[in-house]
Amino acid sequence: MLSITAVSHSFNGAPAITDVSLTVQPGEIVAIVGPSGCGKSTLLRIAASLLSPDAGEVHTTGARLGYIFQEPALLPWLRVRDNATLLADAASDAPFVESLLARAGLTEHRDKWPHELSGGMKMRLSLVRTMAARPSVVLADEPFGALDQITRHHLHDELLALHSTQPFAMVLVTHAIDEAVYLADRVLTMSPAPGRITATTTVPLARPRHAGLRYDANFAAVCGKVAASLTAAGA
Amino acid sequence: MSRTPMSASRTKRWRAPLASVSVFVGLWYGLAYSLDNNFASSDGSALIVPPPHKLFEGLNTRTVERIATATGISVATAFTGLIIAVVLGSALGLFMASARAVERAIWPWLIAVQVTPVIVLTPIIVRIFGPSFAARVFVTVVVAFFPIASNVLFGVRSIPQSWRDLFVLRGASRAVTIRELWIPASLPSFFAGLRISAGLAVIGSIVGDFFFTRGDAGLGRLINYFFLDTRSGPMFVTALIASFVGFGFFGVAGLLRKLFVDPWHKP
Repeated sequence: MLSITAVSHSFNGAPAITDVSLTVQPGEIVAIVGPSGCGKSTLLRIAASLLSPDAGEVHTTGARLGYIFQEPALLPWLRVRDNATLLADAASDAPFVESLLARAGLTEHRDKWPHELSGGMKMRLSLVRTMAARPSVVLADEPFGALDQITRHHLHDELLALHSTQPFAMVLVTHAIDEAVYLADRVLTMSPAPGRITATTTVPLARPRHAGLRYDANFAAVCGKVAASLTAAGA
Repeated sequence: MSRTPMSASRTKRWRAPLASVSVFVGLWYGLAYSLDNNFASSDGSALIVPPPHKLFEGLNTRTVERIATATGISVATAFTGLIIAVVLGSALGLFMASARAVERAIWPWLIAVQVTPVIVLTPIIVRIFGPSFAARVFVTVVVAFFPIASNVLFGVRSIPQSWRDLFVLRGASRAVTIRELWIPASLPSFFAGLRISAGLAVIGSIVGDFFFTRGDAGLGRLINYFFLDTRSGPMFVTALIASFVGFGFFGVAGLLRKLFVDPWHKP
């Protein structure tokens, strides 16, 4: 679905990521955790072909890419409904976009401007916009980082609900260990300066996952493993 | 009768401008009556600064007609010049935003045109356009286009990376990106530039008048004429009208901004 092979990239001679390889299967959610500035965003931008790597290859055979930014990145001069359909293919997708808006609780806000929405609603709209294009691979760059914890947990569940009805592969970059474990099938640990993948943790938790899982001992154990791998990576 | 908070705040809004106008009128009177030899000994008419209540003395029908005609010409000049400045300035701003090399090639010339005293260009302008309406419009464009060009460039340069990425991910063409991203995203700064250019266009149309002594007389020519004729009353009236024209242009620019940008733009 998405395969990245031996990718390296540097900015002005300073290596950002070195020899990173990553394969994502259809429907799989892979999380990448690492400290700020370890090259997670660079890797994601390379995966989305927004940036050409100095070395290595990216293959996205037949995949439809979706990208979720750190900030909602809504266009302020478009109303909610027009932001939602920005990436949708055609007018024929309108009922589908409407159903996404309804699931996100944005139907009654569809005629508003983005600045009239709360932070959580903005991020929901950003999710709707990405999903409206029916992506097969979603690349998400710390999408929930700016939200309060309650909203963040709501959005985790909304994302998983979307994933169960409209399966997509996903690479989720985050610095929140619990978020990575709650959402992902696999968690990759990245070390800083230069960014390298130093550990892979498989998440042996069944789907569907529910909020109660966060207080489960198994969940805590996996989080502990990821945390230990981060410490080992020098983060 | 009880006043609603709304009307109370409205009254408050007018308090500061009213106070400043009162101070201005007071200083005006002070100046008019403190200047030596301000009034002709023969008939007591004002020679240099007429006090406000004597402003309209010496305004006969003929003079009023001349002022009205001149106002029409100046408004037409400023408006035409401003429209051309908007089109030209926006196009230049977008063109410079398209590549750093283009910006580096054009920017020094814009600065050069901006700082060159227009009077230096006057002989060339007259050679090309004659002392015509077009010549005055040309001066207006030269004076007014710079804030538009530099603000549009700034607006495009300030587009967040994520919005740019979004259009790359959409597979949007250059034309679509300019139409659907660059232009709307630069509208707030465009209007900031337009407010400045609207005022400059009025100044340009009046200054142009001083350089071209032939052709239809606008407000600038008329001010100069009244000055040479030592008719300070009509001269001040004409100058006041010129500043009201400036207010009008400024106001229309603000109104357009209110219509097209304010609903969605919350900085």
